[in-house]
Amino acid sequence: MATHQTRRDFLGTFGGGLSGIALGSLLQRDASAATPPPRLPKAKRIIQLFMNGGASQCDLFDYKPELIKRHGQKFDPGSGARVEASVSVPGALMKSPFDWAQHGQCGRWVSSALPHLARHVDDMAFLMAMQSKSNVHGPAAYLQTSGFSLPGFPCAGAWVSYALGSLSENVPAFVALPDARGLPYNGRSAFTSGFLPANHQGTIIQASAAQPMTHMRAPVEAAHITTQSRQEGLEVLRELNAMHAETRPGDSRLTARMQSYELAARLQLSAPELLDLTGETEATKQLYGLDLPATSDFGKRCLLARRMIERGVRFVQVWSGHGGGSDNWDNHGDIPRELGSAARSMDQPAAALLMDLKARGLLEDTLLVWTTEFGRMPFSQGSVGRDHNGGTFVSWLAGAGINPGVSVGQSDEWSWKAATDIVTTYDFHATLLHLLGIQHEALSFRHSGIDRRLTDVHGHVINEILS
Amino acid sequence: MKADGATVILILGGLFILGAKVGAAPSRSPDPHPLWSLAPLVKRAVPPGEGHPLDAFIRIKLQQKSLKPSAAAAPSALIRRLSYGLTGLPPTPEEVALFAANPSATNYEAHIERWLASPRYGEHWGRHWLDVANYADTHGNDHDYARPQAWPYRDYVIRSLNEDKPYARFVQEQVAGDVLFPENPQATVALGFVAAGPWDHTLMVTVREDTVDHRMAQYLDRDNMVSTVIGTFQSLTIHCARCHDHKFDPISQREYYSLQAVFAGVDRANRPFDSDSQVHMKRQRLLGEQRSLQQRSPLLLAQLASPETRRKVAEWESLQSQREAAWSMLRIESAVSTGGATLTRQPDGSWFASGKRPERDTYILSARHSGGLVRVLRLQVLPDERLPQQGPGRWDNGNLHLTELKAFASIPHSGEGAKPITFGRALSDFDEGAAISVTQAIDGKDETQWGIHPRYGQPHEAVFEIKDPTVFPEGTVLTVLLEHQGKTPGHGVGRFRLSVSDQQPSATLLPPLAGEVRGILALPTAQRSSQQELELALFVLTQENQASLAALPAAQQVYAITRDFPPDGLNFKPAVHPRPVHVLARGELSKPGALVDPGALSCISQLSSTLPVPDGADESARRAALAGWLVDDRNVLTWRSIVNRVWSWHFGRGLCDTPNDFGKMGGAPSHPELLDWLALWFRDEAKGSLKALHRLILTSETWRQSTLADQGTSIDADNRLLWRQNRVRLSAEQVRDTLLDLAGQLDLTLGGPAAIQFISKGDATFMSGGNPAFLDYEHFDPDANASRRRAIYRFLFRTVPDPLMDALDCPDGSTATPVRGSSSTAQQAFALLNDPFLIRQSQHIATRLGTKTSLPDLQAREAFQLILLRTPNDQESARFSGYIRQHGLANACQLLLNSNEFLFLD
Repeated sequence: MATHQTRRDFLGTFGGGLSGIALGSLLQRDASAATPPPRLPKAKRIIQLFMNGGASQCDLFDYKPELIKRHGQKFDPGSGARVEASVSVPGALMKSPFDWAQHGQCGRWVSSALPHLARHVDDMAFLMAMQSKSNVHGPAAYLQTSGFSLPGFPCAGAWVSYALGSLSENVPAFVALPDARGLPYNGRSAFTSGFLPANHQGTIIQASAAQPMTHMRAPVEAAHITTQSRQEGLEVLRELNAMHAETRPGDSRLTARMQSYELAARLQLSAPELLDLTGETEATKQLYGLDLPATSDFGKRCLLARRMIERGVRFVQVWSGHGGGSDNWDNHGDIPRELGSAARSMDQPAAALLMDLKARGLLEDTLLVWTTEFGRMPFSQGSVGRDHNGGTFVSWLAGAGINPGVSVGQSDEWSWKAATDIVTTYDFHATLLHLLGIQHEALSFRHSGIDRRLTDVHGHVINEILS
Repeated sequence: MKADGATVILILGGLFILGAKVGAAPSRSPDPHPLWSLAPLVKRAVPPGEGHPLDAFIRIKLQQKSLKPSAAAAPSALIRRLSYGLTGLPPTPEEVALFAANPSATNYEAHIERWLASPRYGEHWGRHWLDVANYADTHGNDHDYARPQAWPYRDYVIRSLNEDKPYARFVQEQVAGDVLFPENPQATVALGFVAAGPWDHTLMVTVREDTVDHRMAQYLDRDNMVSTVIGTFQSLTIHCARCHDHKFDPISQREYYSLQAVFAGVDRANRPFDSDSQVHMKRQRLLGEQRSLQQRSPLLLAQLASPETRRKVAEWESLQSQREAAWSMLRIESAVSTGGATLTRQPDGSWFASGKRPERDTYILSARHSGGLVRVLRLQVLPDERLPQQGPGRWDNGNLHLTELKAFASIPHSGEGAKPITFGRALSDFDEGAAISVTQAIDGKDETQWGIHPRYGQPHEAVFEIKDPTVFPEGTVLTVLLEHQGKTPGHGVGRFRLSVSDQQPSATLLPPLAGEVRGILALPTAQRSSQQELELALFVLTQENQASLAALPAAQQVYAITRDFPPDGLNFKPAVHPRPVHVLARGELSKPGALVDPGALSCISQLSSTLPVPDGADESARRAALAGWLVDDRNVLTWRSIVNRVWSWHFGRGLCDTPNDFGKMGGAPSHPELLDWLALWFRDEAKGSLKALHRLILTSETWRQSTLADQGTSIDADNRLLWRQNRVRLSAEQVRDTLLDLAGQLDLTLGGPAAIQFISKGDATFMSGGNPAFLDYEHFDPDANASRRRAIYRFLFRTVPDPLMDALDCPDGSTATPVRGSSSTAQQAFALLNDPFLIRQSQHIATRLGTKTSLPDLQAREAFQLILLRTPNDQESARFSGYIRQHGLANACQLLLNSNEFLFLD
């Protein structure tokens, strides 16, 4: 383990471009796997939109006439299958309170909760039958972020950072943009580098906070710290460290620490420009819904995501909803009201991001992913809520390497359990890595006696959605 | 406990268990490449030569590679390394100067003794242990609720290390201290070890008990316990055998589940302990009695017919009737529901609510009093077949929420209107929680209430003590309002009865009587069946047991493994008997295989995997047997594991560099003979004294070498052979403690509740289980008392760690951390430059130095002396004094705290 880490530390000390060197060897390691990755990666970067709380597939994309027909009836899936709900007693079957219509050339059904995204279904590939191993936020969210349902494992962004680094020396490889109302379930563990070197953890940007990045600036009360004191100070520090290192040859950590201050300085210089939206046109801001209270937070973060990938960030995660009991996609109580509100806050900005990426030609080599930790039950909880359902849920992908307009998999007639062409988190992650040119079996790290992978010991690339 | 293949008698904390079955270990075909770590420990001769035995082992390997040991470190570097290594804190400049003047062996050893004897030693080494135990003050996972009672275990670790508890005892206590050392309360606190890791509150408490998720969570919970115990004490990656036989090491899946079975009787919850040994033992005895009452153990049932029990029942029955006689039922003449429910009088004088279930409701109940003194009002809420879950509330689950109880008295012919009656206090037989207790029903607030979740289908009662007891004239109309006006809809009372008494509430509050017991009491003694007598006796003994427990002084609590805890809701409750554990094919619950008995590992030669646990024995016998197996002299892993850990913490790297993995995927030891020699020496000579092991290592020349690399870089660049000492970076805790120390701010209070160093915002406080999404570390006052404690006392929030500590590779409590990382990231540079705590301490240091001198040249000198423990050279002096002139001393101090020289130990 130690030698492995040392080599990695050396290569990837900065989360910067250097660690890309490792990629070649990763790709060569196992040439016999079923789906070889493309010679040239289709995707250079990923933006992941994560619907925190379990977005209801049967109220958004998974249209089921059976559910409308049998609305209000007791749910009996037949064949003695046991119906269980996580935190409630299963209620009667409940049709979606939203209206359904087919959209685009592909005829994808989308509910009236997502009028903006509905216009772009021909750009998306749908995974209609994803399945989670858990019905519970913590483990399911860990599974969908890190491939394991327990804490301590690196999430996908950290793996990508570890494998590829960022596309520029001035930005981190992996950035997380949590909801302004708070962190998602599992807190900062949702962006953790787990057992990978610490520089691969997600850099958290609180888009609406006075100080968007922790420790980016000295607190205002520290008046003795000025731009000049810093600039000169860093030079004095560099000299002091240089003299120290000179008399202690052969210790790369000493020079690595010196370089980390240089990277920090570059990040600090690039950050204000990165986060400054004044250069964006009014039309762009309106497109993302920055002028509307419902959409301004998610819209701002979607726009920032675009700016980040333009500047070389490899993996951006934009969260919709926080980890509390409301203001997210965990709509136990009132689907029309709670889901309606969550959908409104996300729909226009997500559609805007898709359009904007496309208009700028970025969608060619950027993968846009929309996902959640699990779906919801076709039957009611209380009067008009829905409980968690790991049995089936929907994700979609658009952009680099994606065959647009296709749908893979189907749930059963009620949208209760995934039925055909089931896609697991492992398959999902294997496909993301594949599009980045990484063979998922080859990307591993020795930890606690096991060569760990993002895809554990599973995972098949979903060829049906690849272009 | 060293018996194979025979029947043995175990003596477990005074408990004799006969007929334990001990079988031979299942035979395995011999491994052609046996693991080094499993080989028997063979006494090895120290290689010939003068001097320290450790140096002899190291040097013989160096000679083979034509390497020489490096020179001794400079005295100033050595004393800094030693001080940090033992106490986690730097030496003072004076200590460095004195030692540099007299770096003799005697003086060096005197420092070792002094720092080993300092309480700071346990605080520093305790942190190492907590890394392995994976300790934190929250549960982790999605909601990451607080664990406010975790800290007594942290203090136990510190105390045990400071007392130099023999290692075998330390191991035993942390697995089975409650049963092996019942007289010692701290041995119970030690059980916090098995519970220290993360725990999924949602899965265990919120998710319904009958779901696959919940049952799987119980397996995963034990997986964490087993991994913690075996990873820590055996350095094996046992979790690899959860889904299939271990792919690399000789551990079968069945053995893995046998280890799960050892912990199948316990859960993680708060566990009471008492600092007074007598009280502690009494409480444990009463808890044991409570358990046999709940389980209706055969031994207990046999006692029920005894004359003593009969006498107790008779006494209780007579007291009961006296107490009941002190109450007179209010004869309600008018009952109105403002929400539109139908209130109907029942034959027994109680009232029943039916019909419409309004969102909010108030029952207005009026009765004429016959006159006399009234001290207390009693509300009995009663179960009824017609109510959901039999009530006593109207909500789906049987709960009720009484937001307020109000009462008024109208005295006839007084010419005055109804006067409010004020209550001084309220008591109940059961409260849903501290914030949902009957006190909330007289607090004047509609937002708070009394509830009885999850004790449905039972009667409950609350008594309300009148502040100024009044003698009412005959005909006084008492009006009682039962209000259900809170946020939760439909939580009205389903069936109730009201009474008043002229007695003190303490003399009248009756234990709630289940309908069954009431029924038995109503029968004349002669007409009771033997089953009814048994039920009544069990009830009376349970009452007595509860009263005895309640009469004990308040217990302290430690978050630990336990089988005695109050259920939390419907889904999380103690196991009456150890839960059945199956081998799960591919680790999946849908494929349960054979049931397994508790057992250990068969891979250690000469040590049987069978744990001597008799059929039907208490769960604690399983843990006691495992503890005995772990500390058996023949358990070679235990002794190899600990000496390697201590070595790793002293050298920054173990002889085997994967201290939690002695398997085939782990590292091979660089000096296997030395490791074995140390293991045997530690076990037999040092008798498990960690302080003796420290002395041995620290007095070796190998440890005292310089870190400078010259000769060996081409042959052994990695320094596996230890031709020099490793240059180790200060840990996050060492940095933080040093900042406070240099600033003169360090509060050296030992132990106690965790110091919360963040501001918690959100819709509820994190302590009571609200939403912890907002933890603000950056605006927490760096000068607050909590900020000034040593880092080991920080409140460790698993999913939202302190960003300064995080940047310095402090583990976040998600997994065990046998070896700390040492990263160099931009985040770390940002943290050391901009963290408010670090900046404030830099200012304090500057203030401290500024009082000594105002001359920049001298200030630079003082800053170097204090922070780097040396004088600056001319170039540094010029550079820093110039910088101080321009930007002040605080900025200069912060630069030194950012330097590699400060952060690394030479």
